[in-house]
Amino acid sequence: MFTESVTSTRRLHNGLLLAALTILALLWMLPIFAVISTSLRGQGDLLSGGIFSWPKKIYWDNFVKAWAAGDFSIYFKNSLFVILTKVPLGIAIAALAAYPLAKLRFRLNGPIFLFFLIGLAVPVQVALQPLVVMMRQLQISNTLLALMPPYIAFGLPLQILVLRGFFRLVPNELLEAARVDGASEWRIFWQLMLPLSLPALAALAIIDALATWNEFLLALVLISSKDQRTVPLGLMQFQGEHSSQYTLLMAGVVISIIPVLIIFLFLQRYFVTGLTAGAVKG
Amino acid sequence: MAVLSETRTTVEVRARRKALSKGALTPYLFLAPALVIYIGFLVYPMLVSLYTSFFEWDGMSATMNFVGLTNYIAIFRDDEVARLAFLNNLFWTLGCLIIPTSIGLILALALNRGLRGTIVFRTIFYAPAVLPLVAVGLIWSWMYNPNFGVINLILKSIGLGRFAGAWLSGFDTAFPSAFATYVWASVGFPMILYLAGLQSISREYYEAARIDGANAWQSFLNVTMPGLRESHVVVLSLAVIGGFKVFDLIYTMTYGGPGRVTQVLGTWMYFQSFQYYHAGYGAALAWLIAVIILVIAVPYIRHMSRD
Amino acid sequence: MKSLIVAMTVLAIGAAPAIAQDKVTLRLATVFDANGQEAWQPVLDDFAKSHPNIEVKMEATAGSGAAVYPDVLRTAMASGDPPDVFFMWGGSQSEPFIKADQVRPIDDDYAKYDWGKKFPQWIVDRLKFDGKSYGVPLHGQGMGFFYRTDIIKDHNLSLPKTYAELESFCETLAKDNIACASTGGKYGWHVMRLVDYFLEGTCGPQVHDDLNHLTASWDQPCVVAAYQRLKDWTDKKWLVPNYLNVDPTDARIPVYQGNAAMIMEGPWFEATLAADQQDESNWDFFLPPTDHAPDRYSAFPEQWMIAKGSKHPDEAATFIDYISTVDVQKAHPEAFQGSPLIGNTPDCSKVPLTCKIVEIVQSDRPAYPPTDQAFVKELMDSYFEVQDGIVAGKISPADGAKLMQQRAEAWKAKQPA
Repeated sequence: MFTESVTSTRRLHNGLLLAALTILALLWMLPIFAVISTSLRGQGDLLSGGIFSWPKKIYWDNFVKAWAAGDFSIYFKNSLFVILTKVPLGIAIAALAAYPLAKLRFRLNGPIFLFFLIGLAVPVQVALQPLVVMMRQLQISNTLLALMPPYIAFGLPLQILVLRGFFRLVPNELLEAARVDGASEWRIFWQLMLPLSLPALAALAIIDALATWNEFLLALVLISSKDQRTVPLGLMQFQGEHSSQYTLLMAGVVISIIPVLIIFLFLQRYFVTGLTAGAVKG
Repeated sequence: MAVLSETRTTVEVRARRKALSKGALTPYLFLAPALVIYIGFLVYPMLVSLYTSFFEWDGMSATMNFVGLTNYIAIFRDDEVARLAFLNNLFWTLGCLIIPTSIGLILALALNRGLRGTIVFRTIFYAPAVLPLVAVGLIWSWMYNPNFGVINLILKSIGLGRFAGAWLSGFDTAFPSAFATYVWASVGFPMILYLAGLQSISREYYEAARIDGANAWQSFLNVTMPGLRESHVVVLSLAVIGGFKVFDLIYTMTYGGPGRVTQVLGTWMYFQSFQYYHAGYGAALAWLIAVIILVIAVPYIRHMSRD
Repeated sequence: MKSLIVAMTVLAIGAAPAIAQDKVTLRLATVFDANGQEAWQPVLDDFAKSHPNIEVKMEATAGSGAAVYPDVLRTAMASGDPPDVFFMWGGSQSEPFIKADQVRPIDDDYAKYDWGKKFPQWIVDRLKFDGKSYGVPLHGQGMGFFYRTDIIKDHNLSLPKTYAELESFCETLAKDNIACASTGGKYGWHVMRLVDYFLEGTCGPQVHDDLNHLTASWDQPCVVAAYQRLKDWTDKKWLVPNYLNVDPTDARIPVYQGNAAMIMEGPWFEATLAADQQDESNWDFFLPPTDHAPDRYSAFPEQWMIAKGSKHPDEAATFIDYISTVDVQKAHPEAFQGSPLIGNTPDCSKVPLTCKIVEIVQSDRPAYPPTDQAFVKELMDSYFEVQDGIVAGKISPADGAKLMQQRAEAWKAKQPA
């Protein structure tokens, strides 16, 4: 009897929650609907007929045109290359640094952590010019390689902060037990810390992949030649000095978010297979 | 005596050697790649900009005039726009601390209950963060457009036409409107971090709380909130940092206008260095932003992340 | 102690490997969008055919409203890696680059190639700085009102010949809830076109020029009168309301939808109409009356410049001369729409509106510069601030004129003598 009423109350609660979430989600999607509907129509229909009206005719070939105009396929490949190398590399470097900061005792632990935190405060704009000069000296200016070091450097402070936090949640007893068993710090890091922190790593990978995929300013000043440009620079090609090709721009946007959406959907599964799966289900 | 002290020294040296060989270097080996990249590509450029901030320089010429602290003094003494921008940053930061963070937390809690469609909801609330800025700026400026924007159209169609506003075009409404867009675009970030945090709270704590007779609210206060401590540190400190570093969204949506009412320190720095050709002054503003963040956020982070 | 950056820049230049090959690569920096790049590719291809020893590589940085391109260019120059040839707007927008000694003076090339004779005098003069030539014209953008002929016909209106007629023209449209004109205040410069026009009308050519040179005070009755016109146009809804943060590219939407009759644009607008799939037969162009003699209009040049740091200035000049010939421009009309090159008249049956403007631009009719090519951006933002304040009713036209003068004086005081 008692259990039954609890279950039905819960069912009611969940139903209300679901309804509230659905309304909020629809609201949240409104701008995204506008992106999609714009990507599907003709520029004349959009501008004369009203941006938030129903399209008169669906133009699938906007996607074809957007893909062809300004060599989108090149930008796409470049951006994929950047996130597929930068994100794992950056997070690996951050995780390596976060481990001793979280779990090892050494004299400079505090100062080094603080030193990394300072990076959170640095606005990227001030680094633009020195970075351009540095990349020229390193002879990698105007290549995708030039993007890697600053992307990694500017990602580190946040990633170290987050990972240090999550590593600290791993009980020290586990580590001690491993040490007693003769495991090296490297093995502890690799076989204990990383698997136990998968949700945090996944969250960071998502955040980092997105930030990298959409990064604009550094790519803008570090890369000038067409065959090295990334997607955000490619999208800019649809905005002219005096006019914009809105429908192609939005078609380009839709194309450009597909890979990150896939990454997001893929990495989501790690949220439920983490440390203690399904913690609050009961 | 002599013998004794000698022995002690040997013992110390031996101990140190032992420590060195047995892993005193280990932390630094782990830290080395990060430190090298961080110092080379973030700290060094930042120091260059610190150096620049003591000069009057157009950002291009071969010559720079050393002016000492003049740029910093001018910010505090003469720069009305910087003052306005600072206040705007304060409001923005307060907003960031309260609104997207609590929405993100509520969403994370709601989506951690194993409801149907959880993945779809998560994706939807995170989706705005996926959109490139150019799309966010364009779509929202259309939505806010006073004449054909969907917000005013909806308000008029449900008989609330008197609330139809100038939004981004209004001196009083531009800043809150831009902030609303920010909320829309940014709740996914705290949501994801809180979701990751919720995963790491052991189920046993909830069991224990239930056995102790705690209701849902009490177990939220006594189990969930403390369990999210590390997530709070990240989310709240990033709210402060983001609040003072905000640039992209303002630059895209309002360009600091109308008038100068939506200027923030980040855009003002950009205007000064890149559009007014005062690279030294812009660098000084950048350091001001950095110092403000360091003073506010870092003590909090350090305090919260002590053992 | 010299700047780190400068020292590093010098190092970087020194370290760059010398190109010993015969073939020279020119880097060409432009603001062209996807359409512009497409239109220019055949030009570059043709050039490559006739000049096998010079390869031109375009580095395009698109983006609306002069927002991004100058930043990219400046960073490239500051780090010692400038393009050889670059696109640039006229007047004050090129001034910082010239003052920073990043632009090559090209008086010798002007003499060698006789460029001075190929373009209208006003443009050649407008591109001079301290008496020296630094740029070769690409565009001469004359601006006026593009208007919907169908709306004008529906209301039995005829084009105004005086400012008073323009007012009653707007009055008539306003009665039917149609805005006379549409504008977008984001970035400031689209509304500025109207304010400039008002200033030309209330102050007259001489005083307007003096205002732009800061040799006349902004705190004078004719400026107040111009601001009053801006306020009237706003308050009477002759302009589509609440326009202060509307993007200029969105300002045309109310005109397309028939809620406004006209918009102030230049020769590029004909291509925009085509791209926006509008019925061009419903459109025409006129210059608004200023009630002064000479009856000036707003126009600004866009130009090609050669970077001081270019290692191939002669090849750069060769390229510029090549694209400044009537034959080349006629062969690629899409790339050179709005070109002021004398003798290159567009095909009036295909682009009638551009044709009208180009005819005016290539004539000797005098033009005034848009203020954003007279003032540097820092001072310009004060102009925009006053303009926005008046539109929003935060400041009266009289106080606006006072404030503008204050800002002008403060700016002048900050400049090195």
